Amino acid sequence: MDSREDDGGEPLSRMAEWRDVTPLPQDDGPNPVVPIAYKEEFRETMDYFRAIYKADERSPRALRLTRRAIHLNPGNYTVWHFRRLVLEALNADLDEELDFLQRIANSNSKNYQLWHHRRWVVERLGANARAKELNLIKKILSIDAKNYHAWSHRQWVLQALGGWEDELDYCQQLLEEDIFNNSAWNQRYFVVTRSPYLGGLKAMRASEVRYTVEAILANPNNECPWRYLQGLYKDDIKALVNDPEISSVCLKPCHEFRDSVVALRTSDTDPLGPDLSMAICDILEHVDSLRASYWIWRKNKLSVAAV
Amino acid sequence: MATREWNPLDFDIGEEEDEEGTPSPSSISPPLQYFDRDRHVAFLEMMYNLMPHHYQSQEINRLTLAFFTISGLHLLRALDRVDKDRVADWVLSFQAHPRSRAELKIGQFYGFHGSRTSQFPPDENGVSARNAGHLASTYCALAILKTVGFNLLTIDKESILISLRNLQQPDGSFMPVDVGAETDLRFVYCAAAICFMLEDWSGMDREKAKEYILKCQSYDGGFGLMPGLESHGGGTYCAVASLRLMGYIEDDLLSKTVTSSIINVPLLLDWCMQRQAIDGGFQGRANKPSDTCYAFWIGAVLRILGGYKFIDKIALHRFLLTCQSEFGGFSKYPRDLPDIYHAYYGYTAFSLLEEPGLNPLCAELGMTDLTAIGII
Repeated sequence: MDSREDDGGEPLSRMAEWRDVTPLPQDDGPNPVVPIAYKEEFRETMDYFRAIYKADERSPRALRLTRRAIHLNPGNYTVWHFRRLVLEALNADLDEELDFLQRIANSNSKNYQLWHHRRWVVERLGANARAKELNLIKKILSIDAKNYHAWSHRQWVLQALGGWEDELDYCQQLLEEDIFNNSAWNQRYFVVTRSPYLGGLKAMRASEVRYTVEAILANPNNECPWRYLQGLYKDDIKALVNDPEISSVCLKPCHEFRDSVVALRTSDTDPLGPDLSMAICDILEHVDSLRASYWIWRKNKLSVAAV
Repeated sequence: MATREWNPLDFDIGEEEDEEGTPSPSSISPPLQYFDRDRHVAFLEMMYNLMPHHYQSQEINRLTLAFFTISGLHLLRALDRVDKDRVADWVLSFQAHPRSRAELKIGQFYGFHGSRTSQFPPDENGVSARNAGHLASTYCALAILKTVGFNLLTIDKESILISLRNLQQPDGSFMPVDVGAETDLRFVYCAAAICFMLEDWSGMDREKAKEYILKCQSYDGGFGLMPGLESHGGGTYCAVASLRLMGYIEDDLLSKTVTSSIINVPLLLDWCMQRQAIDGGFQGRANKPSDTCYAFWIGAVLRILGGYKFIDKIALHRFLLTCQSEFGGFSKYPRDLPDIYHAYYGYTAFSLLEEPGLNPLCAELGMTDLTAIGII
């Protein structure tokens, strides 16, 4: 792993460089609860870290020590915070810091502290870091297209530094790779509603509806495009209900339910009326039996409302 | 025990992909057909006395590990295994104390440290190295103290509450430590739970926190951890539980005839209901694998809303048993190794299912009802 690069993983107590430092043991107190059976390497590294931290030594060797400590407990925000203090004190090259983060990214891709640290670095580098950052996130997402931290960071970069121009295409690409990727659908919504280049939700609605309907027809059992469709009509539910293209998609018979749906279509009930809705609840109670109680409750609510 | 990297604060966001298709089976025997309380008590007792070295990377969250263990024992009605006074003393030793009242407004948070890593004894001049009280550790500390019956009125709650305000951001969200970190719904929840347990809302601006929460509701009804992010089981729990604790939503909303609410309840309910998958378990996001802990995160939201009765309890029960480990505890996925985090949320999930022998749960605090009310 990475910490080996600098010091070969040798015990600190045997290194000449650290001879002048007295390690500070952890004071667990008289009756610790949930004590942990630390391995020797961990104990030693953190004892030296405590010593350096307490002395507030912001030196090159302190920087190397934080790297070792990060390797052993990457969630330790105290270590990361101290690393930032040292980076500032040394006026360190932050591009090199990004490279370091990139090398440890894959094994720490779901670590909050790493992403926060990355953000701290990028904030200092400014807009110049944007392209590199968006690229790195793409790399992480190519390994795991649903990595929540990566998506969170990506949204932050777009909002803080821009780069919206290619984002809708990127969502498109991800959805072509996996139409079931809810993170990509969410990002699509994010872009459509917030990109300064697209004109906002209303302006994009027609084209987005076409795209979504196509996705629904290709995989009607995919929850994502159904939710997305509803999202396109947020705060404007009347428009959704009155769109004939949408109601035809909703009533388009899937082969399992063909008979029931055909029967519904040919009845003279008002398409938006409670009878149709209640009939649908009846069907769902049987075909979606995991949620049978829920559909029964919804049907009862409808019949109460109809009174 | 579990060797993969995880953080109790992560709600296991997105870790599924590493393990899909390659779970390492802990046993080839079929799952037990019942919740094996004795085995779980033994598991927790072991953790209480000594945690395996794999947990060293979680040292910074020591208090959280203690919370899972002690509150877990309480859920299993085995709190007698714990030396309550010893636990209280140990937890109290993590509290950060200001040297003067003036220090409270400067910026540092005088809550509880999560670990000795960030805590140092004062030197000869009485100066402590930089304080790093943490919101999540403070929530866990207070929860443990309440669980063991410690009277919270005796602690310096003023320092906690006045300095808690230092962590609230202009947009209403909370940072977990004063030195800087990510801000998201997890910490809004911690802040709300802290104020609720201390019975004092002067520690936060509830209106602003509410505004931030509302911005996190996604187009599909669930809540992301930050505005714009994908709806997520953990985020949804933090949002709904916070609103409930702060008093913005009533108990058992669904049974009331009042139709207006600050959040889109029907859409939220529908989203939650869709999170139960064919295998009976709950997923954290659409089209993701089922994971033990979401039986709590989503289940608790449904309980708060009054919709827990709609889920398929038999199917969920069956799924959870496939995640029960022969070593005690629960794993994230079926037939995998257990860890203390999934063990705890497995117990809370069984409590929601009203498993005999378990204490009832206070859904919005994530601990036993008895603790929440103040009865040991």
